[in-house]
Amino acid sequence: MITPGIDLEISRAWLVDPAAGREGPGEIVVRAGILEAVTWLTGAGAKDVGPDGVVVAPGFIDLHVHLREPGNEDAETVATGLAAAAHGGFTTVCAMPNTDPAMDEPSVLGRVRAAAEASGSPVELLAHGAVTVGRAGEQLAALGELADAGVVGFSDDGAPVRTATIMRAALAYAGALGLPVIDHAEDAGLTTGAEANDGFVATVLGLRGWPAAAEEMAVARDLALLADVVRDVPGARLHLTHLSTAGALDLVRSAKAAGLPVTCDVTPHHLGLTDEWVAGARRWAWEASGDPWADDILVAGPYSTALRVNPPLRSPSDAAACMAALVDGTADAVATDHAPHTEVDKAVEFGLAANGISGLETALGILLAAVDAGHLPLARAIEALTTGPARVLGARSRRAGSVGLVEGSPADLVVFDRSERWTVTAEGLASRGKNTPLLGIELAGRVLVTLAGGRIACKAPDA
Amino acid sequence: MNVVVDPAAAVAAGIEPAVPSVDTVPGSQPVPWRHRHLLDVDGLSAADLDLVMRTTDAMREVLARPIAKVPALRGRQVTILFYEASTRTRVSFEVAAKNLSADVVNIAAASSSVAKGESLIDTVRTVEALGAQMLVMRHSVSGAPYLAAEIFGGSVLNGGDGWHAHPTQALLDLYTMRERMPGGSLVGRKVVILGDLLHSRVARSNIWTLTAAGADLWLCGPATLVRGFEAWAGRGAAAGRRFHVTTSVDEALRDADVVMALRIQRERMAAGLLPSLREYAARYGLTHERLALAQPGALVMHPGPMNEGVEIAADVAAGPQSVITDQVTNGVAVRMALLYLLAGTHGTQGTQGSHAGGAA
Repeated sequence: MITPGIDLEISRAWLVDPAAGREGPGEIVVRAGILEAVTWLTGAGAKDVGPDGVVVAPGFIDLHVHLREPGNEDAETVATGLAAAAHGGFTTVCAMPNTDPAMDEPSVLGRVRAAAEASGSPVELLAHGAVTVGRAGEQLAALGELADAGVVGFSDDGAPVRTATIMRAALAYAGALGLPVIDHAEDAGLTTGAEANDGFVATVLGLRGWPAAAEEMAVARDLALLADVVRDVPGARLHLTHLSTAGALDLVRSAKAAGLPVTCDVTPHHLGLTDEWVAGARRWAWEASGDPWADDILVAGPYSTALRVNPPLRSPSDAAACMAALVDGTADAVATDHAPHTEVDKAVEFGLAANGISGLETALGILLAAVDAGHLPLARAIEALTTGPARVLGARSRRAGSVGLVEGSPADLVVFDRSERWTVTAEGLASRGKNTPLLGIELAGRVLVTLAGGRIACKAPDA
Repeated sequence: MNVVVDPAAAVAAGIEPAVPSVDTVPGSQPVPWRHRHLLDVDGLSAADLDLVMRTTDAMREVLARPIAKVPALRGRQVTILFYEASTRTRVSFEVAAKNLSADVVNIAAASSSVAKGESLIDTVRTVEALGAQMLVMRHSVSGAPYLAAEIFGGSVLNGGDGWHAHPTQALLDLYTMRERMPGGSLVGRKVVILGDLLHSRVARSNIWTLTAAGADLWLCGPATLVRGFEAWAGRGAAAGRRFHVTTSVDEALRDADVVMALRIQRERMAAGLLPSLREYAARYGLTHERLALAQPGALVMHPGPMNEGVEIAADVAAGPQSVITDQVTNGVAVRMALLYLLAGTHGTQGTQGSHAGGAA
């Protein structure tokens, strides 16, 4: 299917180009889908153009989404997932392999790609292959065949790579293929039956605690194995996804300082929300004290299953550590861990509810709330959604080398208006997963247009 | 919740609530009770607690009558939906509802049906369609009654959810303590909860009510079973909800006015939290020797069911300081009071009512 490229001109906007390390007033011209001109304005032309209005940035890249197809199309399909991505400003997404059947050999990947093609979406779909057969943790999946088929990494996400033996083998084997192993860091021995972050809120609500130590032990294991493997396999790379605790991020910070080839991401919900929300508070992490009862700010009922997520929403100090890691570069990227679920899987008791938050369409809004509150520079937020994840992906994206406002390349960009606030509603989400704790909450930065590969991926009706 | 519930202080502060005449239909008199549901005790104000205590007094008077029955809930259907095995709480609610002339429907839902069959929401819709106007619910998952309350048209009474809350138990404990304390006040009285705090909904609810009542509350147990409560105590101190946590049974019991022992379950050994019941009994069991550390005449309580010889010695449980059977009797009166108060928030026809506060 050939769709003609789009023509688009945006004048007097705030351009953010992390690849060039530059932001400021400017204009862009897209002709037939090609970003033809990027003009930085100075002097009188730049007057009254600030970062608080219309922003143009490279299209976002999400290292971690669950599109649920094949196997759970009631929760999401490739088509609805890509629509949600575009609605959130993402033009490249990396699908996790925990489909049913799992993406542990190339044929499932072929089905997913066919679904993406059929959807007509211009959003780039990349995929991670499973580390082990059926994600069961026992035998290596068809890593070489998956690499030949074009996967961008390997992960048993949803669960950690179960044993140290398999993890060590996977780091070596994938490393020789030039691909990272992306681990969901959780020591399952400490989290059996766990319901909420082990801490004050879980104690009061009588929820089974989910200790930070479970994540930190798994991170420590993976880093030790990486150090061991990289001596023999210099290409070995580890990416730790959705890190959520101060201790885990400290471990990565030290490992990076020691020169280990490790990268990591944090999620918007671990940056912006805390376990206070499980008690019924609805304030941002940077406003939280950790004691929602003392502060008398319980505005919602407790135990909302929209807040059940793995890893769990943590304490305000952990959220602050995630933000600090993002700002100082310990965290290379923000990834949504977009995890759509059906109403059936969420409208149950808290302890029985599926883990996950539908996150593609609210990621930008949460990050902009942090920007507005002065906790995150706008340029760093955009970097963490573009060049940061692009570096983790390396050359396997079609956009390799052109993640930025690069003249002459197909337009992959997002235009959003920071002065426009919008309210998150179930009907307003393109995802089938309406499982977000942000329903009813007002966010800044409505996406006006998303261009992917020179085509319109999403356009606000009135834009 | 830093308001002290002390009858004298309450009267002085002008917050003494009107006590309903329980021989009338709920809602027919102006009663300052705004909670449609009773899901937790954290949202109950000092005035709310006092109203429950006074209404319980009135129910005690009913129970003392030759025919212990009033027509208050005649024509209303109270459904008792228990997803966990229970005898004493279920029967207590049933007797309470029958004493108020309600029609009682009992449903024992095996825990396994949660996994294999009908969802909680479907079950609640079904019992409502079958006429339930008040739903008494017990569930093994913390927070489950909140889910029921979201869709149920009448009132939900939490009969115990997971490790989270057991509101009627905490209120009957409060009533029992106040009844036995000179002046009816717990202000400054040393109350000890001894045992498995971690898994105890009884303890969690008692923390809210006893700190609100001004008690000098101490939680005591092995380190593995009091884990997390130190942080709560630290937070609570800032909010005027002060209590103490210790692993030293001697420190806890010294000069105590009330000692409440909690049940120790065998599963705790399998989970690696305790070496053995024998070791627990030796180090934390409530024996005569230990009780001697407390004030003479200190009250001995237990929410039941007891493991005699483990968390409490048989002679202590049956001894002169034990008020364990009073707890059972008061449980019926407290549950009558709560059914009565909640019924007053919606008419016999409609199900309108406020949904405010943590207890709503």
